[in-house]
Amino acid sequence: MKLKLSLILLVFFSGFGFAQETKTVTGTVIDQNDVPLSGAQVKVIDKEIFSVADFDGNFSLENVEVGDVFQVTFLGFKAQNVEVTQQDSYQINMVEDAGQLDEVVVVGYGTQSKQDVTGSISSVKSEEIIKQPSSTATQALQGKVSGVNIVNSAAPGATPTVTIRGLGTALGGRNPLYVVDGVPVSDIQNISPGNIESIDFLKDASSAAIYGVRAANGVIIVTTKKGKSGKAKFGIRSYYGAKPTLNPVKMANAEQYVTYFNEENDAIGGDRLSQDQRYDTDWYDEVTHIGSVNNTSFDVSGGSENIDYFFSYDYYEEEGLLIGQKFRRSTITNNNTYKLFDNRLKITQNLNLAFRDETPKPFGIFNTAFRQSPLVPVFYENGRYGGAYYNRTTGEATYIAGSDESIGNLTSHGNPVAALNFSNEKNKSFNIQGSVTAELEITEDFIFTSRFGARKIFVRSRSFNPNKARYLANDPTRTEEQFEGLKKDNPENTQYANNSLRFNSRESFKYNWDNFINYKKSFEDHSLDVTLGGSKEQIGIGMTDSYTAYDVPEASQYWSIKHATDQYDKQVNQFSYTPTNFLSYFGRLQYNYARKYYLTGTIRRDGSSTFQNNSDYWGTFPAVGVGWTLSRENFLEGNEVVNFLKLRGSWGKLGNANVPLNTTQILTDPDSGSQNYVLGPDQDLVFGAYIGSLARNLSWEVVEELSVGLDYELIDNRLSGSLDYYRRNTENTILEVQPLLNSTFANRFFDHGAEVINEGVEFAVNWSDQIGDKFSYNVGANFSYNHNEVSNVQRNYDGQLGGSTGLGGVSTKRLEEGQPLGSWWMYDVEGVWQSQEQIDNNASLGGARPGHLRYIDQNDDGAIDERDKVFLGTYIPSYNYGINISLSYDNFDFSVDGYGVGGNKVFNGLKNARIGGENITADTFNNRWTGEGSTNSNPGADRDIQASSYYLENGDFFRINNITLGYTLPSFSNFIDNVRVYVSAQNPILITEYSGFTPEISGYNPDNSNAQGPYGRSGLELDAYPLSSTFLVGVNIKL
Amino acid sequence: MKDKYIKTAVFGIFALFLIGCSEDFLDVESKENIAAEDRDENFVPEDFVNGIYGMFTEWPYAFSYLGITEIISDNGDKGANPGGTGADKHFLDDLNFTSTVPSVEAMYTHWYKTIGRANYAIAYSELESTDAEMQKRIIGEARFLRAYTYFFLVRSFGAVHIQGEITFENGEPVIDPEADLSVRNSKEEVYNYIKQDLLYAMDALPAKSEYSTANLGRATNGAATALLSKVHLYQENWADALKYADDVISSGEYSLEPNYEDIWREYSENGSESIFEIQARGEPIAHGVQQYSTTQGARGTSGWGWGFNNPSQSLVDAFDAQGDEIRKNATIIFAGEILWDGREVSSSVENPRYNEKAYSSANAGAGDGDKNIRVIRLAEVYLIKAEAANELGQTDVAETALNKVRNRVDLNNVTGLGQAELRKQIWEERRLELAFEHDRWFDLIRTGQAEAAMAADGKDFKEKHNLFPIPEDQLIQTPDMPQNPGW
Repeated sequence: MKLKLSLILLVFFSGFGFAQETKTVTGTVIDQNDVPLSGAQVKVIDKEIFSVADFDGNFSLENVEVGDVFQVTFLGFKAQNVEVTQQDSYQINMVEDAGQLDEVVVVGYGTQSKQDVTGSISSVKSEEIIKQPSSTATQALQGKVSGVNIVNSAAPGATPTVTIRGLGTALGGRNPLYVVDGVPVSDIQNISPGNIESIDFLKDASSAAIYGVRAANGVIIVTTKKGKSGKAKFGIRSYYGAKPTLNPVKMANAEQYVTYFNEENDAIGGDRLSQDQRYDTDWYDEVTHIGSVNNTSFDVSGGSENIDYFFSYDYYEEEGLLIGQKFRRSTITNNNTYKLFDNRLKITQNLNLAFRDETPKPFGIFNTAFRQSPLVPVFYENGRYGGAYYNRTTGEATYIAGSDESIGNLTSHGNPVAALNFSNEKNKSFNIQGSVTAELEITEDFIFTSRFGARKIFVRSRSFNPNKARYLANDPTRTEEQFEGLKKDNPENTQYANNSLRFNSRESFKYNWDNFINYKKSFEDHSLDVTLGGSKEQIGIGMTDSYTAYDVPEASQYWSIKHATDQYDKQVNQFSYTPTNFLSYFGRLQYNYARKYYLTGTIRRDGSSTFQNNSDYWGTFPAVGVGWTLSRENFLEGNEVVNFLKLRGSWGKLGNANVPLNTTQILTDPDSGSQNYVLGPDQDLVFGAYIGSLARNLSWEVVEELSVGLDYELIDNRLSGSLDYYRRNTENTILEVQPLLNSTFANRFFDHGAEVINEGVEFAVNWSDQIGDKFSYNVGANFSYNHNEVSNVQRNYDGQLGGSTGLGGVSTKRLEEGQPLGSWWMYDVEGVWQSQEQIDNNASLGGARPGHLRYIDQNDDGAIDERDKVFLGTYIPSYNYGINISLSYDNFDFSVDGYGVGGNKVFNGLKNARIGGENITADTFNNRWTGEGSTNSNPGADRDIQASSYYLENGDFFRINNITLGYTLPSFSNFIDNVRVYVSAQNPILITEYSGFTPEISGYNPDNSNAQGPYGRSGLELDAYPLSSTFLVGVNIKL
Repeated sequence: MKDKYIKTAVFGIFALFLIGCSEDFLDVESKENIAAEDRDENFVPEDFVNGIYGMFTEWPYAFSYLGITEIISDNGDKGANPGGTGADKHFLDDLNFTSTVPSVEAMYTHWYKTIGRANYAIAYSELESTDAEMQKRIIGEARFLRAYTYFFLVRSFGAVHIQGEITFENGEPVIDPEADLSVRNSKEEVYNYIKQDLLYAMDALPAKSEYSTANLGRATNGAATALLSKVHLYQENWADALKYADDVISSGEYSLEPNYEDIWREYSENGSESIFEIQARGEPIAHGVQQYSTTQGARGTSGWGWGFNNPSQSLVDAFDAQGDEIRKNATIIFAGEILWDGREVSSSVENPRYNEKAYSSANAGAGDGDKNIRVIRLAEVYLIKAEAANELGQTDVAETALNKVRNRVDLNNVTGLGQAELRKQIWEERRLELAFEHDRWFDLIRTGQAEAAMAADGKDFKEKHNLFPIPEDQLIQTPDMPQNPGW
């Protein structure tokens, strides 16, 4: 620290002592509305003389000579050069810089004028982000950014899946890297969208390479709002909305169900139900309601000569479609900038506190609500929970049987309402994230930056499980006495404790310390910008602990481990995470000649502790980018049509270090694991051990990317956009390899085993114009196409199965060379078996009966088995597009945004996987096969559980994301600057052929973090959260 | 002057951010799981041997195993309800399965993973053992379990790959790099490998009585000898089969349970007749062959299980043909029956018969029950002896051994049948004595009775059914591996 201080002083004094025949001039910097621009930079060209406009926009320059030229710059305004004359005082009228490409984009460890970028970077500003209400900002950006595919889940607090330029990896580490105010983090759930100033997507290798080993999935740079010099501004934003299910599916009613059930059982020789039933339950109605969302925020910002400040409080609350499911978040953000020593030292402090409070409900309820029979009541007359019982003699859905009568099960599913009511969980988390950045201007060319960033998360969850109530709910004939009896007979068995209570807490910490130096120099037409630095980062520091105890009092105020009974052993578990450390050096050189020819070279060298067992745990990631601004060449300069035209090209390598730690582990189990055995006359449990799998030497996944692009602005800058082509190759994709059946070890292991190629084009186009004084409009569209393919799979490594339907071990996905990641693999259907005779005379699946789907015998061997399964595309869309229209007339503003995807397939797992007795949709009922000749396209009530092309549906959809109409009140008070009220419909319209709830299936499930991903439930509807619309009203006030 | 300051400043700043950027920073120690290099502080060789035994208590032995040993045969029917296929049990029962059925794949895989654990345990004991006596015993146990498992593989699939053994190099386990997993060793090689293991185990393992009581249940000298005898029976090395059977019988370690039904009671676990069995406990922490009693338990009203693997009418008829009431009633739970422990089985359970040998009185429907599964018992050794002696023309010896088993269940002595008839009688005796002890299908194939027996059961046995198909998933991954003929 001492060293630093002396450096500061040293630098400080070096700027003085050049006095000649000179004078002092003063001036004021103002904008078009005569508002002083505090903080504007004033600098004498080619001299070490500069000043910064103070709070009132005033500046003074000493030691200037007549004939000197000083330049005034301010972010968002055109720079102005002013020559010093005899005059001693100047008024500088700054003009806002409207040209879109003159925006500044945030690149890693610095900013850059958008016109000078050689890579592919898409920026989104605050207005776009808050246009659509969301808890996480990326949710609102679906369809807004070309080359970026965002898959949303309507679950409250859900994290959207963001894929930049195609999926390049099969395993964990599919998420892009987020960098929030210089702090690399894995998500931005803790940041209120309203506090974000801009989001920059670094899409290509040239721009992302500065983040080296963590940039393979792209980098998303988030910059939060800062104060701007000037008087304090207050903002209040609030909206409230209702969220109904967008695309409800109509289920079969009791009568239809009975018919279907009987047809099924007639085919297999089971029981029949009577048409005379007492109940007709619509389970979706019982477990869902109209959700709601509410967001209110307050912020104040401003700045003075020495301090800029921004403070915000934001409250977000969402009620999900499942009754009782809630998500609440309070966010406090405070960003201050301290400007010291005449702006030579700038210290920026960002602090974000987020408090989350959730009441989750299991997503599996969507599955049971679909499958449970409508004959089952929510409650029986006696108040007991309904169960899937029927009297096998009378065929009535009841648990009551006379003598000589027996009870059967309609389905194997429980009561969804009971599941909803018994789920009693609360999660609370506290997230502190922030950074302190010191920027020291050593000379006007040299800026040294040191940044310390950190994030700490505390999570505590509580879950209460009423065993006894569940026991009683499972069968209405059970009595409390029976439970007590079981409890007495099994005094150690926690299954018979009245309830269990579990606390789980987790804390984790990460920090990064970056130091870098930036050198900027322009001489004649040459400009040079060099950044060099190093970074040290540690992530995943922390621990988790959990406590489970039994038989706490029923009243929730006593739900603590202290009040649990001692009859059962309390369980404690605690462990520390293995942190991951990174050490990195990076450098970037940007050069341009006359802003015509650009060259960017980037290199990052990273070391990661994840790969410490390897010889090469240091990796180097180089990238180059070139650019040519044609519009500055003579032949285009001054062209009336082409205002701006630039060609870009880049090549680079990026890494993905986010793979599991690869150590060979010896597996033990304190319970009834497969490594333990029983010995001795008293049959004592003896403990054993085994090796799950031997670790392979893993290194990072390396993505090599080649990208070319074009940016343009035409016709008075009204038409603008970009066009890009890329080819990315993940050279050594890590696969989770299922060991060969006859190999030594059983557990899956990770190894490099394939290449994944993503090739695509993306374009964005925008037209904006103004007609007359009052009317202006903007029409934008973007389109991204991506082709994904797995290639060069190592011998014995393909064939990884995934996408289990959860029944009978049926998988729907398989990894194979030449196919896209997560490709569907199943039987191809060629009709429905019409008669037994037909089955007997053709290749059929063992056990086929009339009414079952008929599969194509691909290998013509006369039998249907796994060898007849074929690849049928992927859940990953091959293209997605967005359309954004906004109009403003006088005080009214109106916008419509749409988003669509295509070329993908989704699997309707709810429709498919039946083991008998489950409910079906009304459509399935109406279209079913009912006998020979009835239909050759839909199966009958009796069908097999195999996955087939019948259930694989077109996943194309187009959705109107947003329709908003706003009105800005005419000025009515000096006190209030601006009031805008608006009404908005989010996701009001969905156009899809898909028969399920939503074709947009990310696989997100808070109870199962492994559910997502190409070989998980992505694209497979089993318990996907239905999509909801939101209808809201809101008001924004600026004071 | 100024330049110099700047240089100093730049230099100083660089020095600042290089400080602490030492590469030691990247050496992070594993906290979450114990890294393998720290294993010797935590594990003894015996742990890894226990880990092999544990494999025999896993789920495949409770379900897939039933499919490929009993349901497929004339003793067992699939059971359960018409829609309850147990994934593929209906295919096995109807003998129209293919190379993709999960039961075959599950057992194939499970056996190889068991062998993998044995290979690791052997290598680890060689590396880490401090006590030579102990090392020998541990390797003996591992090799016994490995041989037992290869015996399943060779009987099921014929020529199979012999898995590469493990050695430790610089403390790291290395699997024989020469072992090409697509190669199938000949049946002869596999049998020789099994015999090598069993001969080693016979030498290395203590007799049942020599173990300390805490180790009751581990593989013994007697178990290795009995298994070796059975292996020779399959190879039709009659003299060796007879010799090793005699060694077991004359060891003085074993005697027949006086009452046949007692063999499956809890009190006779590891009893006088038991040569090797899979151990289980029902009290918490319960650990048994996972759900073995559940899958085969009575289904429906008053039931406690899923109702798979039902004794067939054919088996009932076979008992009745011999007038064999004792073994019939000990083997089969009939609907409407009151069991020996007083449990009433309603007459409206879903299937007419269930496997009584899988029944646990104390933990009927529990996930992990107390049911020890008898693998080899003395009665079978007598039957091996009888068969081998008959083939060698030692009719008296054969008849004595056979009648020893028959007499226990009040069946009359068999005498003077002639070699061919006596052979058939011994085979029939094996069917009844060992029903639902997972021997029937292999025995049908071994003795060449399968085609006729299946035909009698109304099923179409083809040449290819003499071996199970190599699972398709294996062939997808190792396309060079040949499939068994006809599949």
